[in-house]
Amino acid sequence: MAGELDLAREVVAFALEAGATQAEATYAIADRFSTEARGREVSKLEQSVARGVTLRVFDRGAKATLATSDLSRDGLRAFVRETVAAARLLEPDAAGGLPDAGTFAIEAPELPIYAADVRERAAEAKVDDALALERIVRETDERISNSSGSRVADSTTTIALANSFGFGGTYRASQAVASSTPIARDGETKRQGAYGAAARSYATLESIDGIARTAARRAVASIGARKPATMRCPVVFDRDVASLVLSDLFAAASAANVAAGNSFLAERAGERIGSDLVTIVDDGRLPHGLGTAPFDAEGVATRRTVVFERGTFRSFLYDTYYARRLGAASTGNAAGGGIGPTNFYLEPGEATPADLIAATPRGIFVTDTIGFGTESVTGTYSRGARGFAIESGELGSPVDEFTIAGNLLEMLASLDRVANDLVFDQSIVSPTIRIAEMTVSGR
Amino acid sequence: MHPDASTFERILTRALGAGDYADAFYEYRVVRSFRLQDGRVREGGITISRGVGIRVISGERAGYAYSDDLSEAALLETARVASLIAKGGAARVDAVELPSRAEAVASAYGDAAPHRLVAAPETYVDLLARADVAARAFDPRIASVNASVSEEMQDVAIATSDGRFVTDRRPLVTLGVQCVANGRERGTGFTGDGGRTSIDFFAERTPEAIAREAGRIACVNSEAIETPAGEMEVVVGSGSGGVLLHEAVGHGLEGDFNRQGTSLYSGRVGERVANELVTIFDDGDLPGERGTVGIDDEGTPGEHKVLVERGILRGYMQDRHNAGLMGSRSTGSGRRQSFRVMPQPRMCNTYMPDGASTYDEIVGSVKRGIFATSFAGGQVEISKGDFVFMLAEGYLIEDGKLTAPLRGASLIGNGPDAMNRVTMVGNDGRLAGGSYTCGKGGQYVPVGVGMPTVKLSSVTVGGSAVGG
Repeated sequence: MAGELDLAREVVAFALEAGATQAEATYAIADRFSTEARGREVSKLEQSVARGVTLRVFDRGAKATLATSDLSRDGLRAFVRETVAAARLLEPDAAGGLPDAGTFAIEAPELPIYAADVRERAAEAKVDDALALERIVRETDERISNSSGSRVADSTTTIALANSFGFGGTYRASQAVASSTPIARDGETKRQGAYGAAARSYATLESIDGIARTAARRAVASIGARKPATMRCPVVFDRDVASLVLSDLFAAASAANVAAGNSFLAERAGERIGSDLVTIVDDGRLPHGLGTAPFDAEGVATRRTVVFERGTFRSFLYDTYYARRLGAASTGNAAGGGIGPTNFYLEPGEATPADLIAATPRGIFVTDTIGFGTESVTGTYSRGARGFAIESGELGSPVDEFTIAGNLLEMLASLDRVANDLVFDQSIVSPTIRIAEMTVSGR
Repeated sequence: MHPDASTFERILTRALGAGDYADAFYEYRVVRSFRLQDGRVREGGITISRGVGIRVISGERAGYAYSDDLSEAALLETARVASLIAKGGAARVDAVELPSRAEAVASAYGDAAPHRLVAAPETYVDLLARADVAARAFDPRIASVNASVSEEMQDVAIATSDGRFVTDRRPLVTLGVQCVANGRERGTGFTGDGGRTSIDFFAERTPEAIAREAGRIACVNSEAIETPAGEMEVVVGSGSGGVLLHEAVGHGLEGDFNRQGTSLYSGRVGERVANELVTIFDDGDLPGERGTVGIDDEGTPGEHKVLVERGILRGYMQDRHNAGLMGSRSTGSGRRQSFRVMPQPRMCNTYMPDGASTYDEIVGSVKRGIFATSFAGGQVEISKGDFVFMLAEGYLIEDGKLTAPLRGASLIGNGPDAMNRVTMVGNDGRLAGGSYTCGKGGQYVPVGVGMPTVKLSSVTVGGSAVGG
């Protein structure tokens, strides 16, 4: 990976030559493969290497950035000069600039985030996996009549980051993904289900058979679904949709949103907001985690940050800039020009998801949501949803075409059950949870 | 500069192999943007996307590979990888032939001269500063202002194995302002505008006007009450209400879903899919609009398409691959985010022409319902057709008048079901302007929407207030 780091250093040197006071360059190379099967055929096969350089330059703290796939030396030099010139036009910013020396991941441990099998596994075997996934999905249930395809995709990424403080770091990471989107026939209606899994290695990826069965089960589950009545009731969120709720909480915990006056968590550090069951952690060093890396997009060492501890809001997530603005220290969450999650998750409980259903006399089990209607500034939450009615502690008939609504502050306070089914198959994950009361809007 | 005709010929000859069709897409896109926060412009950026994507089609199969290295050796290797999908068939002997010079498309892009230089960076900084001042002066409740401006120029060259070689030069400018207001609660408002034209666009549509609009929405939302839950009459406002057409109908009419039979509209051309008041167009040929394409990303000119005419489904939006498999023709709807991805059938500018009712007649006809002034976005599941919209600005309608502003409402419904419930169409249609971006399969492309004021007899409103 020395060659990659050399290019990053060269770009930093271009920027300093052009007059930048500070500069940081990242060279990323991603080997990507993806294939899709539909019916009995391979429908897509894509394979490429994506290369790109990103550069941040500072002038009196003001920041200008460059992201380019034009890696010709002439192209790089010309655009680096233009980037440095743009920084000169900007207003000074006392909080701007590279991270403080001492925060860099100088002695980063070797983290288990790279597996050679991702690149080494033969394309034919990956294609066979996609074909098998598609075949098993269709064989699992005769009501599955069509599909939008079954996919197997992977990437192996090398990151090299250098800055004008002399820091240079590299790491390699891999990822394998398999997913399927079957469609079940329900009279004149088509019902789509979708399921996918991701891991750092093909060896640890959920089995093709398991992915196929879950995807098929989801497609047929909603056959015969009807609109539920409008009511207030407990709502159980399946782990995949609970993860989406966690995404909204991540947005509110991002210091960038706090500084923009755009977070309902602003000025609530130390306040008790959630129930005892709300412990939320961002852990950049979680072994095998899909959000794990030795350092963030600024070269700052990643770490474990407790965001909520037994209901009490403990910490926002920071990059260097917003940490300086808000008088805190970076939590190693710099990502793609902003603040991003590493492995952001809700601590699991002891009960099984079935226990949560059994503990609910009457309510809704939500298995899918659509839309993205959360107002980060107030926490107002509203989503389209489908799932099942819960009657006398058992899953009843399927329901769809309704919304669930509430406020994230109230949802955290009334989160009264957490299951044990946490799986780190995305960067933001949650176990199955129950919210004691929300508004269901249907008939 | 893009590869020349003879280079493209060698690349495509290698790519085609045993396939039915091959094409190469060259892109050089430069985006310059600046951002304002806390009253100061302290951030700017340049993004460059340069490379070639090569696609090979063999029946229903498509192979794809791309390269950011433009050397002929790298492109020939990229062509070989893309051609792997077609292996097994008989290799073709004919070499691909192209015209020696690319055909340049007539400009569909308003006043943006084809060789215009980009504006001086000071121009962008000044636009943002003006937006900030205007937003803060609009109302004392405005607590924070964020604004961004961007200008891009995308040069494309497209060469196909059936002998087409064409170039296009596409400008795009966008200015967006987001305000937070402290009223009874905190409220946010966002307004964006722009188009496929030059930065001079903002001489007419001023940053002050855009900023005041964002400030007004933030102030309205800061005094909003909880939205009622349940089924009720809904009036969708003109302009950005067109998001309704985009989600409830548009996506379901994209060629790939219909070729695969996964859309609820599959096989239904000629059938009634909406109330007869409903007509929907998609147009890639409206000069300067955000969703306009001189040519699409497969080299086909953008055109005006009738999707639904007086309630009858007339046709789908097609790219070349899906059109070929369905025995129809491309409608200039093959679009892609960049050279790193294959094109998909996509919308351009989707809108509904005027009906007969006035705004006052429509709102006056509602005893108790919701007025959806504008949407922050939406999403649809194309198989069953269920959609969701998030209101950016909305009001309660009581006895034919707009009353309290509403907070955090979603609308949920089903495409054909909602289109059958259109009971009044206004005479006040317009394109929304705006800065809408549509996501599909992980690819984002700029689009336009438009609509007159429309009344739906019943929609499920996803608020949090029950009863009353």
